[in-house]
Order: sequence, then structure tokens, then C-alpha cells
Amino acid sequence: MSVANVVEQLLNALALAGLLFLVSAGLSLVFGILRVVNFAHGVFYMLGAYFGVTSVAVTGWFWPSLLLVPPVVGVVGAMLEASTLRFIYRRPPIYQLLLTFGLALILEESVRVVYGPTALGVEPPALLQGAVEIAGTFYPRYRLFLVVLGLAVGAVVWLLLTKTRTGLVIRAVAQNSEMADCLGADVTRVRTLVFGAACALAGLGGVAAAPMTTAYLGMGISVIVDAFVVVVIGGLGSIPGSMAGSLIVGAAQTWGAFYLPETAMVIMYAVMGAILIFRPWGLFGEEE
Amino acid sequence: MKRRHFLTATVVGGTAVTLGGPVFLRRAYAQNPIKIGLPTVLSGGNAQYGIQAKRACELFAKDNKGKGILGRPVEFIYEDTAADPATAVRKAQKLVEKDGVKFLTGTVLSSEALAVSAKCPEWKVLLMSTINGAGALTAKSYNRYFFRINTSGPMGARAVSLYLAESSMKRFFALGSDYAWGRDSVQSFTAQITAAKKEVVAKDYPPVGTKDFASYIGKIKQSKADGVYLVLPGQDATIFLKQAHQFGVTREIKPIMEIVELENMKAVGDAMEGTIGSSRYPFTVDTPKNKAFVKRFHEMHNVYPDMFDGETYEGLEWLAQVITKAGSDDVEKVIEAWEDSKYDGLEGPFFMRKCDHQAVQPGFAVQAVKDPKYPHLIPKILATYPGDKVTPKCRTEEFA
Amino acid sequence: MRGRWLGALALVALAVAPWALARHQLSLLTDLLIFGLFALSLDLIMGYTGMVSFGHAAYFGLGAYGSALVLIHFEQPIPVALLAGALLAGVIAVPVGWFSTRAREIYFAMLTLAFAQLLYTVAYKWRDLTGGSDGIAGVPKTTLYWGGPSVAGPHAFYAVVAVSVVLSLIVCRALVASPFGRALQAIRENERRFISLGRDPRVFKLTVFVIAATFAGLAGALFAPFRGFASPEVMFWVLSGQGLMMVITGGIGTLVGPIIGAMVFILIQEILSSYTEHWMIFTGAIFVLMVIFLPGGLVGTARRLATRA
Repeated sequence: MSVANVVEQLLNALALAGLLFLVSAGLSLVFGILRVVNFAHGVFYMLGAYFGVTSVAVTGWFWPSLLLVPPVVGVVGAMLEASTLRFIYRRPPIYQLLLTFGLALILEESVRVVYGPTALGVEPPALLQGAVEIAGTFYPRYRLFLVVLGLAVGAVVWLLLTKTRTGLVIRAVAQNSEMADCLGADVTRVRTLVFGAACALAGLGGVAAAPMTTAYLGMGISVIVDAFVVVVIGGLGSIPGSMAGSLIVGAAQTWGAFYLPETAMVIMYAVMGAILIFRPWGLFGEEE
Repeated sequence: MKRRHFLTATVVGGTAVTLGGPVFLRRAYAQNPIKIGLPTVLSGGNAQYGIQAKRACELFAKDNKGKGILGRPVEFIYEDTAADPATAVRKAQKLVEKDGVKFLTGTVLSSEALAVSAKCPEWKVLLMSTINGAGALTAKSYNRYFFRINTSGPMGARAVSLYLAESSMKRFFALGSDYAWGRDSVQSFTAQITAAKKEVVAKDYPPVGTKDFASYIGKIKQSKADGVYLVLPGQDATIFLKQAHQFGVTREIKPIMEIVELENMKAVGDAMEGTIGSSRYPFTVDTPKNKAFVKRFHEMHNVYPDMFDGETYEGLEWLAQVITKAGSDDVEKVIEAWEDSKYDGLEGPFFMRKCDHQAVQPGFAVQAVKDPKYPHLIPKILATYPGDKVTPKCRTEEFA
Repeated sequence: MRGRWLGALALVALAVAPWALARHQLSLLTDLLIFGLFALSLDLIMGYTGMVSFGHAAYFGLGAYGSALVLIHFEQPIPVALLAGALLAGVIAVPVGWFSTRAREIYFAMLTLAFAQLLYTVAYKWRDLTGGSDGIAGVPKTTLYWGGPSVAGPHAFYAVVAVSVVLSLIVCRALVASPFGRALQAIRENERRFISLGRDPRVFKLTVFVIAATFAGLAGALFAPFRGFASPEVMFWVLSGQGLMMVITGGIGTLVGPIIGAMVFILIQEILSSYTEHWMIFTGAIFVLMVIFLPGGLVGTARRLATRA
């Protein structure tokens, strides 16, 4: 086992964690503030990837797509929230979960109707093509970019939530929506806004993922289970928790596949089970 | 009044039918279609394979319009299995029991085919594989209701090994999807490469649907092999090739694919140029029959035929030929007529072995190359091997 | 009163079905009953304790593997296979339930999901025993008892399934009406009060979790010989999610509802998928509408309408 190898596996874990964080942060946010387990969240990640492919194909540029696609995905999400979820917040959580399950089916198949069944590839931008030498090993630039992107988005979301007035209102709604309503916060609007923002984050994750994994059907479904694991490990509703959870899952998946290939699939769930047995509310979650 | 009127009509009508019975029935028989059921994948990530099977059926229907088989029209019935073996069995059962289908084809995953094939003796229907690669289907899990028209996984591995035996590459890493087809083919490849005095230095089985291959690429790099043998289904192969290219690993370690598909070439693009492997049906085969087929196919669907477009079309044509030879669509008679029969396929002569129902056919080693005449990379044929060199011994996955 | 009449009518319908239905319809009905039993078992936890299990498919799958292995390797009569499948599911559910019932609400759901995925990966990776992702094909329908008549025919196997499902429903109904069942509902309504009465809710939760898993195992044990097949897919979370939908469609906490829900759920897909490749869009839309407009599910809504009339 050489140093180069260890470094490479470390970077692999970080890059995967970066992507997972973009998806799970929104999932966690939606749960913390809306108390909804959003099963359709992964599909917004897929929408991001496919919209990204279209945008790159039409404009020919990657960078503007990275900025343009997330708001579009966010608007789609907000519209769906306002037209369906809004009516059933008072019901037990299982109903919201099932409603989003239905939405996921609709969106998944709609994407296939529009884009067809074949996976679609996108090239990374010229700046991020190829590999750089790090500690004696060649590592793709694009994956390094994913590490940086995950960290940057994490910092921005955290600052937004803790240092701005909007963040204050959002946190107030999360703590006690009725009280926040009394104090003059427009709870309905905050919910739609947060849902849309979370979908936009997932969309960003999708655009960023496309050059690495291509845009393909089922990418939403496969990422959502990983994202659930991340959020449950980190604690529902906690952004630092999502960060920690992403790192743990990223490490479990990449190192598991490298060092223990035959048991790799089990490792992630074993870690999650172990953490939940000792801290049923997750690493950064609050006991209810 | 009304009721009596109705009764009278029934009696009159009934008498008329009874009297005109024989003629009436004979005509009904002539119109009675031969039904072919496809429990195939039409939704989700593997839908591209179901769509290929469907395209082939559509062209076959067009080519045989008015003729039919035995003068009877051919009817295709599609059911979506969503790539789940249990659902595949349910849909197949529905096709058999409700629609009265006697011939099944279009199963996509080998696991689906294994599940459906096991039920065929009970249902007394014939399952014709045109896609499924797992060697077990015509070996360990053989039953007389299963016929394989397509090149199997071990046969593909054989063609590649024969090609590699003459190359300068010596050490290989084998990466197979963790299911019947992937495991079978890796085993087969290992056995033959070892026999050719070369070496498989390491192997690994990523689960189906792996989206990040970084860890596997790390291992492949570390192995310092000359080539990496890939047995991955469409989407997984596309993702692997993209990522391997980004890691720059494909420059030193040549990817060698069990199946080189157009789908991959379209999705991966130029990064796949130079990749070698086997093809079960390369549309570039230079035979008059194939050229005409490609032309008709392109006219109808506006794309070039991929592997399973070609293999499925051949299956249908051959099935029609043996039903005609049997003079009936009775399953037992068709099985007898098919055994030890010959067929003039798109890429060369086919022969259906009686002992395991594996079609003996030419094997190909191909390379993905650019050609200005086409909008994407195409498989260029590097070598063609006659059927008897690439088909395993009966009901085994071993070669003479 | 009306309910009893409907029940009797349903029993008569099940009894005459083999003569009234065509072969493929009988196969479909067998299928519907098996998944009805699966949904019924899930309702036992969801409807009567309020705990949402997101890993119920694991026990269905364990049942399927248990019975498939017994039938393939030992060729025992069907009842032995059913018992083996149900027991395997019940036994594995003990440790899982012990850990999972420590958590509540969404964390309970996620723990059950984690354990189910763990079991799924074990089935996926243990190739020597389970055939890995290729599954076990060619599971035979054996006999009714040692040296007894074969149940391979569609009518005979339908009878085995119908009797199993009806008996399970009777047992489950008796269970929820018993003092044990009332204790469960007391926990669902107010767990704090239950604890303040000096009783331990976890014992009750764990017991019902194991019972529900056992019935799910029975459903799986029927499924394997019926399809002739068991594979990791029958343990996957997708089936768990579908189970939840079946329960909600039929009506949570009604026992009969989920059976009807399962039937409607599968029939909708069956019908839509024969008309369009894009059936998922319509299925999804139906669920969205159902969740919004029919919160009590089919049976719950029907009951409400009946009492209002």
C-alpha cells in the first residue's frame, strides 16, 4: 500500500462526499423545516443532471449551466410543493412520504419520455479536464472540483442559516411554526421557499454529477437511498450533520469497495445501524 | 315483446352459425395470428435493451406484412418487466395464460431469463433468447424449451481471448458485474487466458448499478496490467469508461469489452476510440444480407442497428423458418424442427445444436473507431472466428 | 352487520373463484392474495401501533428464501416450507425489532430500512446459499403432506394461498381485538400515559413487530413456490415502499383495507402497463391524488360514507 494509493482513496471519498452533501443537505433542510421526508428529492438531482446536459448542448458552456440550472430545478420543486404537499402538512409524516413517492414516479418517467432511455454524457469544462499529479498519482481535476464545490456550498448554506435574517426566520419556523406564524412570519411562503431551495441544491448536485457519472435514468432513485443514510447518520435537519454523514458514507463506500470488495455493500448500512443504536437521533440531531 | 324478439334472433343466428360452422371456423383459423410475447424491459435504466428488441420486431412485422408465418399474421405482445425477475415471471405467465402465447422472447437480464426459462417446461412454451449472455442457460440450467440464438457470454470471452492470444498484452485485470453474466464471463475469460499462457492478475465484481468506479479504477491502476477486461451492462459500462478516461488510466491499461455496444459509443463519445472487444452482432459486417438489413433498419428507425436489434431480428427470422418447416406452431413440433437446423444469418451461417440449444455462429473481435460517414464511433471488425472455434463444448462453458 | 355480510360474500367469492375465473385470472388473484397478506401484516404494525416500518420487504424475502431452500433441497410438503419461511422471518425479526423499537417515528423507519438493506445485501452476496443476484429459480410446488396430493395445479395452489390468507386475517383480527391488541392501540394513542400506568411499551412493540414479520414471511413463503423463484429484489426497499402504498390505498388500521389496497395497487399497474409504457406517470398521479383526497384509503372512506348515509 503506497502513499499515492492512500491519498487517492482519500480524495475519492472526499469527491463522493461532496456530491452526497449537495443532495443530502436539501433533504435534511426539508425535513428540519417542513417535517417532510421527501422521497422525490433524488429525482430533482436527476432533473439537474438532464437539464445540465440540455443546457450544455444548447449553450455549449458548462459554467453558465452550473449557475442556471439549479434555479430552474428549484422553481419546478417549489411549484410542486405549492400544488400538492401544501395541503397535507397536518397529516402524519407517512402521507407526505407517499405523496412524494408518487411525485418521484411521475418525474422519473417524464424524464424518460423527454430524453429517452440512453445515458447522456457531458464533458467537463476545459479547465477541469484531465488529471493533475498529487503525491505521485494522477488525479482527475474534475473530482477535485467536486470536493471544493461541496465545501463551498456547505459554508454558504451554513452562513445563510446562522448569520442572515432569512436564516433566522427559517430557523424560527423549524422550531415552532405556529409561534413563528403568530410573530408575523409567512410560514406558507417560507416552506415553499425552503423546498425550492433544497431542490435547487439537489439540482446543483445533478449538474455537477453529470460529467462524472453521465445523466441516466434511475440516478435519482439510487442517490436517494444513500442520501437517506447520510441524513440519518448526521441527524435530520442538521447541516453539519449532513456534512459529517456525507464524509462517513463517502468513506464507507469508496474504501469498502477498495479494501473489502465482497462486503462493501454491507458496510454503509452496518455503520448506520451501529450509529443509530447508540444515538438513535443521529450524530448531530437533537433528541425528540 | 322485446325479449321474444331477442330470443328469435338468437335462435336464427345460432342456427346460421351451426350450419355455416365448418367454413366459418376454417376462415377463423386462417386469421388466427401466431403470437409472440415479449416480457421485456421497457422502463428504467435497462429500457434501451427492450427498445432494441421492440425495434427488431417492428421491422420484422413490416418485412413480413401480408406474408406472415404459415399464412397467418404475426402478432407481438409487449409487457414491461421493469428488469425484475419476479415481475418477468408474472408477465410471462400472463402472456402464456391470458394471451395464449406459445413463443416468448425479449428477456433482457440473464437473471430474468433464468427465472422464466425454469417455468417454461411447466407452461409448455418456448423461450428464445436473443440477448441473454449467462453461460448457465445452455449448460447447468438447460431445459429443452429454451433456445439461445445470440452469442453467449463465454462465447464472447472466447472470441476476445483468441484475439488477445496473438497480441503483445500479457497481464489482465477482469472486472465483471456481480450477476450471472458478469461472473460467468470473467471465469470463462480467466480459463482461456490462462490456457493461452497469459495471466489474469486480479478480478473484481462491482454490483450492478455502480455509479462511482473510483475505487475499482484505483485497483486497476495499482495492478499495472496491460488491459482490463470489462463485463458490464450498458449503463455501467458507459459510466466506467467515462471515469476511467478522466483518471487517464485507459492510456496505459487498454479497456477490452465483452460486448462493444453502439449505446456505449454514443454515450461515451470519442473517449472510447480504440477500445477493443467482442461484438455479438457488429452492424458493419460485410455481407449482402446484412447490408440490406442495415439499410431497411435505418430507413424505418433512423438509427443504425445495435447488437440486440440484429440478434433479435435473426431470432425472429429463424423462428419463422422453423415454424414453416414444422408446418405448425405446435411447440413440441417446432422444437424438433429447430434442433440441428441451419439458418443463413445476417453475419454468416447459424446452426442450432440439438444437445444444448446454443446457436453456433461466427464470433467477432472489434474495435471502436471513428468514421466520417457515421455520426458516432462504429465497431470495426478486427477478426472473424468460425462458429466451431468460439462455441463451448455441449452443455458446458469450456472449450475444446 | 353490513360488514359481516360483505365478509361472507367475499368468502363465497373466493370459494367459487376457481370455477368462475379463467386460468390467468386465477393466477392473478393468487398473486393479489399473496401481496394482500403482505400488506395485511404491515398494517398490523402501522395501523395498530403507529410505527412505520420501511423495511418490511426483508421479512417477505426471508420467507421466500426460507421456503425456496426447503422446497429445492429437501422437497418437503408445502406446509413445511410455509412454516420454515414464516419462522425464519420471525426469528430474524427478534434482534432487528429489539434494536429498532428503541427508536421512534422517522428514526424507527430508518432503522428498519437499514436492517432490511443489510439483509438484502447478505442475500445479494451469499451466492452459495442464495444464488446471489440471480436468485433461486425452479422452486417446485410440492405436495399437501408427505405422500399426499400435489398442489402444482393452479386450482390446488390457489386453494393453499386462499386458505392461508383467510386464516391469517382471522388470526390478525382476533389479535387486535384481544387485550394485547387494545394495549397496542393504547400505546398508539398515548404512549406516555401507557408508561405512567407502569407498563413497558417496548415489550408490546417488539412482540407485534415479530408477529407482523412472521406473517410477511408467510406471504413470502407462498410467493416463492407460486412464482417458482426467489431473488434479492423481493427484499429490496422498493417492495417495502410499495407495501406502505398498499396499506394507505386500502385504509390504514383496518386489516381488510390493506388486502384490498394491495389488489387495487397491483391491478392498476397491470391494467395501465398493458396500455402504455409510461404507466409510471399515471400510477404516480393516482397516488398523489389518492393521498390528497382519500386520507382514509378506500375502506376508511367507504366506512365513513356508510356511517354518514
